[in-house]
Amino acid sequence: MSDLFVIGAGLSGLMAAYTAARAGLRVQVVTKGLGSMHWAAGTVDVMGYTPEELSRPVQRPLEAIQALAHSHPEHPYVLLGSHQVQVALEEFTALMAELGLPYGGAGGFGALAHSTSGDNLLLPSAVGALRPAFLAPSAQLAGDMARPEPLLIVGFTGLRDFYPELIAENLAKQGFQARAAFLPLSLLTEQADRNNVHLAQALDLQARRLKLGGELKRLARAGERIGLPALLGLDDHAAALADLSAAAGAPIFEIPTLPPSVPGMRLYKALRARLWRMGVRIDVGLEGIGANVIAANGTAGRVQWVETATTTSRPLKHRAKAYLLATGGILGGGFDSDHTGRIWETVFDLPLTIPQARHQWFRPAFMDPAGHPVFNGGVAVNAAMQPVGADGQVLYANLWAAGGALAGADPIQQHSLEGLAIATGWAAGQAIVRALAQ
Amino acid sequence: MKRIETEILVVGGGATGTGIAWDAALRGFKVTLIEKRDLTHGTTGRYHGLLHSGGRYVVKDPVSATECIHENRILRKTHAHCIENTSGFFAVTPEDEGPYPDKFLEGCRATGVDCAEISVADALRREPLLNPRISRVFEVPDGTADSFLATHATVQAARHAGAQILTYHELMGLIIEGGDGNRRVVGAKVRDVAKGMDVEIRAQMVINATGAWAGMVTQMAGVAISVVPGKGVMVAMNHRALNTVVNRCKMPADGDIIVPVHTVAIIGTTDERVTDPENLRIEPWEVNLMLEEGDKLVPNLSKARVVRAWAGVRPLYQEDYAGASRDATRKFALLDHKERHGIDGFITITGGKWTTFRLMAEKTVDLAASHLGARKPCVTATTAVPGADQGNYWLGHRLHEIEEQKLQGQLICECELVTRAMLENAAKQNPLLTLDDLRRDVRLGMGPCQGGFCTYRAVGIIHEMGKAGVWEGDAGHQTHAAEEWDVAYIQSPARNVNGSGSVGDRPQQQGGSVGDRPQQQGGSVGDRPQQQGGSVGDRPQQQGDRPQQQGDRPQQRAGQTPPLFNPNLLLRDFLQERWKGVAPILWGRQLKQERLDELIYLNVMNADHLPDDQLASAMTDFYLFDTTPNEHEVHP
Repeated sequence: MSDLFVIGAGLSGLMAAYTAARAGLRVQVVTKGLGSMHWAAGTVDVMGYTPEELSRPVQRPLEAIQALAHSHPEHPYVLLGSHQVQVALEEFTALMAELGLPYGGAGGFGALAHSTSGDNLLLPSAVGALRPAFLAPSAQLAGDMARPEPLLIVGFTGLRDFYPELIAENLAKQGFQARAAFLPLSLLTEQADRNNVHLAQALDLQARRLKLGGELKRLARAGERIGLPALLGLDDHAAALADLSAAAGAPIFEIPTLPPSVPGMRLYKALRARLWRMGVRIDVGLEGIGANVIAANGTAGRVQWVETATTTSRPLKHRAKAYLLATGGILGGGFDSDHTGRIWETVFDLPLTIPQARHQWFRPAFMDPAGHPVFNGGVAVNAAMQPVGADGQVLYANLWAAGGALAGADPIQQHSLEGLAIATGWAAGQAIVRALAQ
Repeated sequence: MKRIETEILVVGGGATGTGIAWDAALRGFKVTLIEKRDLTHGTTGRYHGLLHSGGRYVVKDPVSATECIHENRILRKTHAHCIENTSGFFAVTPEDEGPYPDKFLEGCRATGVDCAEISVADALRREPLLNPRISRVFEVPDGTADSFLATHATVQAARHAGAQILTYHELMGLIIEGGDGNRRVVGAKVRDVAKGMDVEIRAQMVINATGAWAGMVTQMAGVAISVVPGKGVMVAMNHRALNTVVNRCKMPADGDIIVPVHTVAIIGTTDERVTDPENLRIEPWEVNLMLEEGDKLVPNLSKARVVRAWAGVRPLYQEDYAGASRDATRKFALLDHKERHGIDGFITITGGKWTTFRLMAEKTVDLAASHLGARKPCVTATTAVPGADQGNYWLGHRLHEIEEQKLQGQLICECELVTRAMLENAAKQNPLLTLDDLRRDVRLGMGPCQGGFCTYRAVGIIHEMGKAGVWEGDAGHQTHAAEEWDVAYIQSPARNVNGSGSVGDRPQQQGGSVGDRPQQQGGSVGDRPQQQGGSVGDRPQQQGDRPQQQGDRPQQRAGQTPPLFNPNLLLRDFLQERWKGVAPILWGRQLKQERLDELIYLNVMNADHLPDDQLASAMTDFYLFDTTPNEHEVHP
């Protein structure tokens, strides 16, 4: 029997698993598939836009969190307080530095510590919009639009997931000096069928990246920085980045594009390797399908076991001292729904703050600045990240929740996906460590 | 203001209008067709895709049934590549007991609809997902049709015959001369929507082929006719489920048919009178009803993923009829306004259904010819449109070609197997106002992710083409566009490789005859009438103004990059257009899919914070999903 049983291997689940394992707990992680890191940009977005100001990006996210306290008391950041968010981010930054995939902010690396004045980065997106992100892997930092160098965006002819002309034109429309250029895709691969992961693996080979670097040097004008699709190596990324920058003689940065996300895969693999070294098991292909609980009866109930399903065996029962629900919300598959408008949490059937009526879920425009109500709800928790009922009482004494499943935020629209995952995963891990120590 | 002179002005770019343009041009008339949006924007592009055998009407509407089977046999030849030969079942489910099945058999015999009763065991062997509790099954020659492709093919045939087709040209008013009792329609005021320009079209005959919108057009001549838009809601399931069209064997009712079209199975339909044919709400109860009824034919079909819901409007015409929408006749109505209202030069054709479009066109042009002076007789029943020589469409053709030619790396829409070259050729030869126009051409974004991946790619590719000057400068390119673009292969990955298009390897088959009858009049390229078409008012005739060669999309002129061609607007419009059709069916896995699309576009791309966010196209508002509260939440 493990101390902590984590359901979900996204950023929140892995952050909680790391926090608990480092404190000495025995941790098991199960996941149906791979987390949403594989889809996302690989940055740490803490707060890009607030519900109050959706047209202009937040300049200082940790300050913006403090400002949420009055308007959005149910927001997970408000439950934690900005100080805890900051501590969690510092933990994450230290961990990633240790893992050789360093994340930095607007002030560079390590500038975070004990500072609430960290500015958001503004990084060019694959359509040439500016993405607010608080931390980014070193491969994306040179894309910060606060930097003065003009941009050369380089694509590959025939690569279906990256359009440098579009990026350069939109950056120019926003007042930046940017131009586009193409290189032949044959520099990377001769394969007829390929995606970004194959191409990244091609750049794990030094000979290929040196050749690419030489071509980039030929293209770049003095003083330019070079933006490339985010596929600069997968397993040998740090060396790929260094080799390319040296060979090109210019700062190089990655622009994340359509899934699968190579930056997200690097992050996942780094965290997984760290957890493996701590003896944490991660079972992929196990889907949490239900739980046995002692129902709340005036006081908090208890989770007895969690049941998982696989395609290859009968359902399995898992017992632990503590359970963490980190299955994500709708995106992660943690909630399911049907045509009658019923929407439910799939493992513990926890109450959701989402209206049980389909006609209340959506607004007329896909890009409605106010977002869609169905994506703003989820599992309500207290400050210790324990799911609570409508009366605010803890539902199960040994159950915690973190990440995309939480109510009170639309992390995709507010650009807070990773920040919420890290902060709530870390906080839940801390709370579990404290609870089991008692 | 631009002026165009023609003999026949056709209003409406659906199946009927384009069929009229084709027929009239083949008979030697000078024809101009206007459509306010893209081809098939109205009812033709929003129906379930059934090629009727007539079986649905044998009891209720025998005249329609006979028309259907007659036209079914013709279209299988003239538009062969637009049709999948699925066959059709009429199945008696446990809820359909009673005398109807025998009446149905009798009706088939009386109306000439081929029908054979087959054993339930045979039916289940062919369609294993069919409800095993059915008691009887009748097989009829139903099929399915790609109405987008068919309309394109008809238009290409019409163009070859000299017709001028103008999309995004909206009718603003009719030009009427003469006083009471002696009035005559002599043309129309038209708005070029894409260019924001007025156009005056003078014609000896205006044919109103606007279907459910027909009453609005006759109002412009001060005439009221009773065309009631009958809304039909359809849902497309992610699984094709069946390879045969399956109908319930009972009086036609809501949700009683499942039509396998391309990669999806479509459950249809509802039927409700509405007042506005343009803005159609989809209520939760309507979607739920389709799913519940679909389950009666294919148990648990509702548990499959729904990819989309949409609504079309039937044009229901019945004089002095005020009953239920479902019971109005589906026969078409041809109205000679001279005879009825004393207005010369004006004909309305409405009612009917896709399957009978060619017949409707024939009768309409017969009537027009009786006023204008007859030319050649109708030959559309024996004239194949370009591409028909390929034979019937089959589901696996794209995958087969992609695997044969190893085109996997070229795919930009993995759901519907659209390659980059297919998109480029469609965009090059058929310049667009929105990506939705290209969707109809190549099925871009019609699969389970509903544009999640291909929207970004398509916008990037179109933008690169614009940067490369594909639509600029070269007047010769534009001039020959309509000639060169062979829609016959628009959906073929193998025929669109490396941007070469189908130009070079196009076989010499346009407009050939079908059946065993020798080609007699018109129809083939060789003997098509050599008319110039559309003289241009007060301006000297220029190459670029030769209407039949100009291409039907207006906005790409030398040296101009129209604001409508803004990539950020293309992106926003298409995402919103896809949203309109998924919002009514978002739950379960499709809701998760939509959240991934949000992650991509709102987060990774941050496309909701791009420049030019105030720009709007002619279609922007149309794509909004109507969520205004409605008190009719339950089935009335």
